[in-house]
Amino acid sequence: MRLIAHHILACHAKGCTSNNFPLKFSDVESQNAEAEFSPDFLKGFYPKIEWNVLITTAKEKFIKFGEVSLPEEQPNLEDLDEETLKKIHHVLLEIDVITGKMSCPNCGHIYPIMSGIPNMLLAEHEIA
Amino acid sequence: MPTSVTSTTVNSDAEAYEEEHVHAIYDQIASHFSSTRYKPWPIIAKFLDSLPSGSIGLDSGTGNGKYLPLPLDRPNSICTIGLDRSRNLLKFARQAGGKKRDVIWGDVLDLGWRTGIFDYAISIATIHHLASSSRRRQAVETLIRSVSPSHGRILIYVWAVEQDGLSKRSIPPEENSTGIGRDVFVPWILNQSPENEERSHNPSVFNRYYHMFVEGELENLVQDAVANLGMVVGSAKSSVERRGVEILQNGWERSNWYIELKRWQV
Ligand SMILES: [Zn+2]
Repeated sequence: MRLIAHHILACHAKGCTSNNFPLKFSDVESQNAEAEFSPDFLKGFYPKIEWNVLITTAKEKFIKFGEVSLPEEQPNLEDLDEETLKKIHHVLLEIDVITGKMSCPNCGHIYPIMSGIPNMLLAEHEIA
Repeated sequence: MPTSVTSTTVNSDAEAYEEEHVHAIYDQIASHFSSTRYKPWPIIAKFLDSLPSGSIGLDSGTGNGKYLPLPLDRPNSICTIGLDRSRNLLKFARQAGGKKRDVIWGDVLDLGWRTGIFDYAISIATIHHLASSSRRRQAVETLIRSVSPSHGRILIYVWAVEQDGLSKRSIPPEENSTGIGRDVFVPWILNQSPENEERSHNPSVFNRYYHMFVEGELENLVQDAVANLGMVVGSAKSSVERRGVEILQNGWERSNWYIELKRWQV
């Protein structure tokens, strides 16, 4: 599961409708997976990025990100330089979570990730 | 070799029925099924090709993920996330087209993501596996709620009662027309010895449940779903309402009914 999916997924357990994003990672094993850099895609997706979520995710220990980090304030789309875009590309599209857990910040529900596939299924009584 | 379709009645809880007659089967036939599903249908390819770069979308009921790599001439310009109930099919979807894809194990009735986050959603040959009209409507509601209120686009394909001459399946004769489609079993024949070109003497037959849609039924389903969400069907110009869903195209192709929708708000 690449981190772009983590930037999309939210808890949908019964009654859990606010503060249900982002899901919090634990016990993660990830691998780097090189992906083609597509500035057009990233610029289109940019308005959907929650900047604090992105920089928090970029600091996760399972990311081997090197020395550089993202600016604390979200740059305007027009001001985005290629270096920053490449960092965003790396975080969202080149980190593949193989196993781990994602827990809801609101209700604590845990969504496991196995063999790279997040399990968003709920038991019947948990469905909203 | 025509495969015949037989009538059935959903005689238990719809969800339990789907578990037995849809989900369990796809998990068992995943490998064989995937090897037969590789060619994208033209209207769906055209829809994906028309999306602006930077779009993110949902393929609800992605199966082996054959639509995830599209459009082929603009790879990586859009990102389609595939969702399915069959974990075994998702193993194929995760590497569709030989690249890493984004997939989710989930239910097409649930909304396990930020509401309205997607620019588009497709639901191809999926809603016809739901075993009650209210569950089919709920699946359409989930698609509508998943896409952007201002510009989200949706394409839905379901299997039609009205089959074309090229179809390999023969349909039992119609009893009466009520505007409601037909509940049927469609057999999937899994040869026990795939390395043998000859037909095996004891192939396994898996009867998959389908609700085959009649003319007008898919549009009615959309009308009900939109109304249930407190929105209107129509164009933004012709309405005094603030939020709605416009039907951009609505038709029949190769034994399937399809409909394309666009959300708007003013
Ligand atoms: Zn929750």
